[in-house]
Amino acid sequence: MKISSPFIHDARPTNQVMRLVILALLPGILAEIYFLGWGVLLNLLLCSAYALSAEALVLRLRNRPIKSTLSDNSALLTGLLIALAIPPFLPWWMSLIGVYFAIIFAKQLYGGLGFNPFNPAMVGYVLLLISFPTEMTSWLPSINLANQQPDLLQSLQLTFLGLTSDGLSLQDFRLLADGYTMATPLDETKTAFSLGLMTTEIIQEDRFLPNLTGWIWLNIYFLIGGLFLLFNRIIRWQIPMAMLISLFATASFLNMIDDELFLPGWIHLLSGATMIGAFFIATDPVSAATTPKGRIIYGAAIGFFIIIIRTFGGYPDAVAFSVLLLNIAVPTIDHYTKPKVYGSQIKVKTDV
Amino acid sequence: MIKETKIISHAKYHIPGGIHPKEFKSISNQNAIEWLPQANELIIPVPNNLTDKQFLVSVGDSVVAGQSLLSLDDDLFSLQIHAPCAGVVLAITHKNIGHPSGLPMLSVIIKTELSRNVSSEKTSSLVSPDGWMNLQVEELIQKIHDSGIVGMGGAAFPTHIKLNTSVNRVTTLIVNAMECEPYITCDDRLLRGHSTEVLQGALITAKIVGAKNILFGIEDNKPQAITCLENAITQYKNTPGENHLTLEIRIIIAKTKYPSGGEKQLIQLLTGLEVPKNKYPADLDIIVQNVATLYAINDTICHGKTLTHRLVTITGDLVKKPGNYWIAFGTPLSHIVSTLEIVSQQVSDIILGGPLMGQIVSDVNIPTQKSTNCIIFNADIFSAKNIRNESKTVHTECIRCGECETACPVSLLPQQLYWFSKSEQWEALEEQNLFDCIECGACSYVCPSEIPLVNYYRYAKSEIKYLKVKQQQSENAKIRFENREKRLARIKTEREEKRQKTAEARKSATNKLDQDPDGKKSAIEAALKRVKDKKEKQS
Repeated sequence: MKISSPFIHDARPTNQVMRLVILALLPGILAEIYFLGWGVLLNLLLCSAYALSAEALVLRLRNRPIKSTLSDNSALLTGLLIALAIPPFLPWWMSLIGVYFAIIFAKQLYGGLGFNPFNPAMVGYVLLLISFPTEMTSWLPSINLANQQPDLLQSLQLTFLGLTSDGLSLQDFRLLADGYTMATPLDETKTAFSLGLMTTEIIQEDRFLPNLTGWIWLNIYFLIGGLFLLFNRIIRWQIPMAMLISLFATASFLNMIDDELFLPGWIHLLSGATMIGAFFIATDPVSAATTPKGRIIYGAAIGFFIIIIRTFGGYPDAVAFSVLLLNIAVPTIDHYTKPKVYGSQIKVKTDV
Repeated sequence: MIKETKIISHAKYHIPGGIHPKEFKSISNQNAIEWLPQANELIIPVPNNLTDKQFLVSVGDSVVAGQSLLSLDDDLFSLQIHAPCAGVVLAITHKNIGHPSGLPMLSVIIKTELSRNVSSEKTSSLVSPDGWMNLQVEELIQKIHDSGIVGMGGAAFPTHIKLNTSVNRVTTLIVNAMECEPYITCDDRLLRGHSTEVLQGALITAKIVGAKNILFGIEDNKPQAITCLENAITQYKNTPGENHLTLEIRIIIAKTKYPSGGEKQLIQLLTGLEVPKNKYPADLDIIVQNVATLYAINDTICHGKTLTHRLVTITGDLVKKPGNYWIAFGTPLSHIVSTLEIVSQQVSDIILGGPLMGQIVSDVNIPTQKSTNCIIFNADIFSAKNIRNESKTVHTECIRCGECETACPVSLLPQQLYWFSKSEQWEALEEQNLFDCIECGACSYVCPSEIPLVNYYRYAKSEIKYLKVKQQQSENAKIRFENREKRLARIKTEREEKRQKTAEARKSATNKLDQDPDGKKSAIEAALKRVKDKKEKQS
């Protein structure tokens, strides 16, 4: 019983919010499975199981209610986000390490949902990226370019054994018909720029645009899910809008300075983890800035750093690094962006 | 959308945040106002710090309706307390009156005379309906003081004090007819039935404070009340008397949104102005009065009636005849339960006031008071559609989703206030403007984790206030201690100086004797000379 007012309440409960976020991931999930194969589905199943078991384990150790906490769906969401961020056919034990680290260290050790200063999924992802850089950047070419995609059995074998029964490794599947090993478009350009190639040369490569197309579709499907969240008022517009605008503006600015050395803004906008990052990762309310103005600064800074790190850093993509970087800045941002409360600004009296 | 006329206009300004809870107003606003039959026993709480001398009645005395129970020496800061009905004083004792502290309060218990029918109780008209125009401001305020009128929108602040501090300071009287909380309809029904009286009360108030405008603020969910009010205003404007006040009177309609009826929010809605921090509406040349208060002022000034009853909304799914009733102050809830055939076995908790800012009580013996505008009897207070049962003892954690911040009418960050309240970071809370929170409950209403946010804020506020008192006390103690140390040191040095002085004096005296034999000699000589002089004088 409530002992003091208010006595009425009407809101979508937290677990439903999380469920809707997961639902909104569906278009992106299906697209990723279509373009990148069965491995994505395997990752999703594995990471969900890891996330739930890790959460249950810690809750048991902490003597917290397991069933009701698991049903808030937040651990599941973390697992799914990691699954979508890691490349398909990543060895099963690597994703295990990533998810367990995310749930146990980045979330539960801080006190669980609501207390983690960092985005758990991104902590897990970054741990994997730093520890296993080769495996973590070994993506298959998207389906419209791939020589052959592993079937379900081969996918299982790749994930759990590293080799298919007919002796193919992941690297074999990454080879194109012409014997070229494919990577993500962002990875491709990173390598090409380091070899001294120009933007026009990179884009004119036969394999570049078909590969990019897959990633563009992926981003579009995540964008659709994100808009669903936006229109259902589950996330607010500030972070995704600020992030996408600032990302596009920064990239376009660089591109304007020298369009041969820097990719055009639209490629940045529709490749890598841009859209999933803008709508599903940067918007994690627990670790994001919480004031209306703060959210704009937070989102804009993430967009800016994504381009800076993608362009000048050592890694092809940078959503995770930028989000974690800004997570650190959240208390400061929140402190300096408090909204003006009623009565704190003197207004000139106007006619009624 | 209600059509704009010369009198009616729509609010040009808006307030941030706010919520749109289901209204439940049609439960109680369908029936005309009725009188609740008088209760056998009335419980009238009085201040706890009274001396016996201040009681004008003792146990066994007969009282008449409107008789003053206390002698408060015309102290303008006091609130007059009257017997609402005729009867006999049964006891003066401590009773549970539903005080938030849960403590019993000193109360006068009156056994009423059942033969009397409440609705016929009218004291004689002391003043003709227009006679008040000739009265002085001081006389009007004195009458309001004598009648024991308080702000009847909920705060129950003595009206005469509010008027007194506003005399000649304000230009605009804002009448609060918003009634933004769900379930409550007493202001709505009052305006539908008595808008002329309410308008009259507003005119009296405007005269007292010297206001030039009267603005009625009302939500668009009360079209009938708006029409009644418009008719009353038109009628007043079309029948100019000799004492006609030249006032601009208007109705401003606001879109229904909770909490538009908060005093500060209403001012913002109607004028676009914000009452500055730590200031009052009078600093903006504004005074706000609730319609029920104005009705009471009219009753007192024009009909010489003392405030003994008020209009109360009785509503909820357990009430067979929900509606608005004139109820005498001090009427126990049990009497309402039995008279209105409320299934008492099912009554578990009763809400006094609205569901967002009201108070929950479980004791049916507590009385209604001047601030009781609504009583909700629901089988399960959370059973109604759109209201979910709060059976969980532990809420889930805050995920900083920010729903609360978009609902806050004061533009606070409830999620931050919660975080700092929970971790007891008092300084951070003050920096986050905790004390600007009006406790409207909009944040809790929209919280997906169902956190009782307002509870946390109330706790933090009381802790901070308590700590401030403690801090002041320890500062005072420190000052006292330092003063005592200084005083002791001063006494010590003074004593030391004195001792040294006497010691030196003694020393110098002995030194003089020892070192200066001439001194001795001269003393003897002086003495001899004195003797000699004396002798010469005598001779």
